[in-house]
Amino acid sequence: MVVTFFHDMFHEESGYMIKTDVVIIGGGATGCGIARDLALRGVHHYLVEKGDFANGATGACHGLLHSGARYAVTDPEAARECIGENAILRRIARKCVETTGGLFVRLPGDSKRYRDTFLSNCEEAGISTEVLSASRALDLVPELNPSIEEAVVVPDCSIDPFRLCMLNAFTSRHKGGGILIHHKVIDIVRERGRCTGVKVLDRFTSQIKEIRAKIIINATGAWGDTLARMGGSDAPMTLSKGSLIISNHRLTNMVINRLRPPSDGDIIVPNEAVCLAGTTSIPVDDPDAVEVDPREVDLVATQAEQMLPRFGTTRLIRAYTGVRPLLKAEASDSRSISRGFKIIDHKNGMFSILGGKLSTYRLMAEKTVDAVVKEFGIKAHCKTADIPLDGQDELSGYPLSKRLKGIDNIVCECELVDRAQVENAINSLGIQYIGDIQHRTRLGMGPCQGGFCTYRALGIMQETGRLTPDESIEILKHFLQRRFRGIRPALWGDQLREEQLVESIYLGILNMGQRA
Amino acid sequence: MSAYGYDAVVIGGGVSGIMASLTLASGGFKTALVSRGDPVCCLSTGCIDVFSHSDEPLSGIRALLPDHPYSLVGEKGIKDALSFFLEIMAEAGLPYEGDPGRNRKILTPIGSTKNTCLVPRTMAHADMPPGEYLHVISFQGIKDFFPSYITSRQRNSTYSVYDAGVPTTLGIAARFDDASFLDAFITWLRGLEIPHDRVALPAVLGTIDPASVMEKISRAIGRKVFEIPTLPPSVPGLRLFRALKRVLQSRGVHLYWGKGVTSVECQGRTVEAVTLATTGRAKRVQGKAFVLATGSFVSGGLFAGRDSVRETVFDLPVAVPGERKDWFNTDFFSGAHGIERAGVRVDGSFRPVETDLDNLFACGSILAECEIMSLQCGHGLAVATGVAAAKSCAQGLS
Repeated sequence: MVVTFFHDMFHEESGYMIKTDVVIIGGGATGCGIARDLALRGVHHYLVEKGDFANGATGACHGLLHSGARYAVTDPEAARECIGENAILRRIARKCVETTGGLFVRLPGDSKRYRDTFLSNCEEAGISTEVLSASRALDLVPELNPSIEEAVVVPDCSIDPFRLCMLNAFTSRHKGGGILIHHKVIDIVRERGRCTGVKVLDRFTSQIKEIRAKIIINATGAWGDTLARMGGSDAPMTLSKGSLIISNHRLTNMVINRLRPPSDGDIIVPNEAVCLAGTTSIPVDDPDAVEVDPREVDLVATQAEQMLPRFGTTRLIRAYTGVRPLLKAEASDSRSISRGFKIIDHKNGMFSILGGKLSTYRLMAEKTVDAVVKEFGIKAHCKTADIPLDGQDELSGYPLSKRLKGIDNIVCECELVDRAQVENAINSLGIQYIGDIQHRTRLGMGPCQGGFCTYRALGIMQETGRLTPDESIEILKHFLQRRFRGIRPALWGDQLREEQLVESIYLGILNMGQRA
Repeated sequence: MSAYGYDAVVIGGGVSGIMASLTLASGGFKTALVSRGDPVCCLSTGCIDVFSHSDEPLSGIRALLPDHPYSLVGEKGIKDALSFFLEIMAEAGLPYEGDPGRNRKILTPIGSTKNTCLVPRTMAHADMPPGEYLHVISFQGIKDFFPSYITSRQRNSTYSVYDAGVPTTLGIAARFDDASFLDAFITWLRGLEIPHDRVALPAVLGTIDPASVMEKISRAIGRKVFEIPTLPPSVPGLRLFRALKRVLQSRGVHLYWGKGVTSVECQGRTVEAVTLATTGRAKRVQGKAFVLATGSFVSGGLFAGRDSVRETVFDLPVAVPGERKDWFNTDFFSGAHGIERAGVRVDGSFRPVETDLDNLFACGSILAECEIMSLQCGHGLAVATGVAAAKSCAQGLS
């Protein structure tokens, strides 16, 4: 019941031809941020997204609202952007941000000189720091490795990327913008070399719709070059895969960073009831063909264990990977490439916004929309930093007591989602995809990773008539395959036991396996 | 510490451990069964899958590699073990039916069918000839059972829903143990005037004597009736376990239930005793021979670390196929993951290899190469190797 007020976002648009001023491609943080910015400046627009919100890197990052300290030494400009946006988002997106604070911990052997540079660069960038002795740091985070040398407090926060997208999109919709999720761009309409619209495929009805616009904004992250090429131009980028693991427990209430130059496995972020640890950085070519390698899991787990020893014994429930869309650079090491962003005016009616990061999504949106309104020749200033996100008052947050109140007929035991919540998501939100239910209710996000409750949720969906029984079994198969992809790299210990139980249900009791 | 002495001590209270204990007890040996808790067979369909990939399980088994545990038992051994199982279940009052020479079909909760070999009598009519009409009974609010999955896949089928007052399978099954509830249900069912040939229900027809409940319903409506096994917690799995446990008790096997092994004592090439964790004084259980039947990963007989697999009681050597990246292939539905072959290797007499222990035997899913999920041979393998390992153990004792 967290998100009922979003229901009109999913209503079918009538007709096949839609006219608007701006089409935004991409429903990640940047795209949704642009939609909100345009809405607040009174520019009519449509946003199209091939999946659900936060489908790409937004939903596959570590959910960190950077203080900028991570970049203070290597990328001072990115650091300054981060701390500025950090302050703004804490103000305007209270229900998405948990002000955890962060620690940079220095382990024996980590350079003291780096620490000195780090502190002075943070000061220059305007990032507040406080140096703590090991014992004071352990008071704050008791699970820290007791042999740390010292720790530095910085204003890092945990942020919910999915909720952030939803709330940005909500403002847009509220002000008359169109939001079409599960609509994939299949073609960009061009007239005399100029982009004048997009053709989108409604993935649920298979209907093709055309949206005509004066400007097209390409906010597709790792898919940026593909879309730019569809528009007759290009947007060269460097793609870098970053893999993360999720622990079954919230082992820390603060973000924990390693106080050393950026490297693999240097961050742990608490998020709701779990912790995310990351990341790796491996160059890739195709954003649609990335997998987590078990060696990445071992690498991240081993590094995380050095900061929080319990990470070595706690159960890992899943691993996932996202693709960072980085600006093209000469550097061969993807970590040394700037995390900055760039707006390309393709001079054909399309703008691409490239690079950047979740923490600076609002600033990226502001600069993009600045360029667009300049093109339109209108004067309208950005208001997104001053007005809190709409729709936050109705959000409940996650207190367990609220979730338990009146709960009846539990569908997802791990996250305490009941049948009424699932039916509400299906009926009033008009949800057609199992993943959408999961995003909006947290169904299937716990230790069994939907192994038990997805079958139930799909059973309920077909009982409501939203799906035929056959469709629902097909979706279940896809879901199990996708789920397995996430779990497989981190299968050992208790998670392996649970996985074999799940296997025995689907391949044994339900006999869904393929015959050898 | 209190000490107790036996001829044979079986560790593990699942199907293989119980069958091994019963085999030893019927050979006249003083037998103890040690179990950490109720076994994972409570989560199963309750059916005995022997080898579900072909219609004829025994001929399918003939094609298996020589290092598969079935090959160590041999065809006659498998048949004898299954007959012994049928005999035990008849004695327990939970009759099973089936023929090791030919698989039969049961219906799954999603309306597909599944090959299995021996079934509780309540599932005997699930193997329907084509063209017959089926009516499914579901229960108000029941979890994990959606009758429309079945009616959409089975031609000429329909369903009705009964309100049992509780939504869980175990709760509904407990209601069926009560005669007045059963009478009310039958009255309702007769009122439906079902024209179909057969009636199917989720497996909730009582926790004690489902065959009688089924026969009573069947007589009242003049239709064949059968059960559909449900997702865990599974009533037929629980019935199977409880029935086997009753026979253990009646045949004089001494049970140490809810107690895990905390240490083992070996003297040279002999296991002398195991120590059990109890709430009071630790118990030392001595035996002349030991049978290890602690199961695979789900049961806790094996534990997978990040890079290696451990046997949890004796720390026996475990055969593991490759590194962790090789444990699972990328396709969820193919089964045949490398990890399914992990386990304890045994010789022809079911003694673990690469150890110098003479009086230790192993059986069930802890054995290497058994590939239970992809071959669909779980309880059949447990029965066959449980009996075979116990016979080998008995030979050593006498």
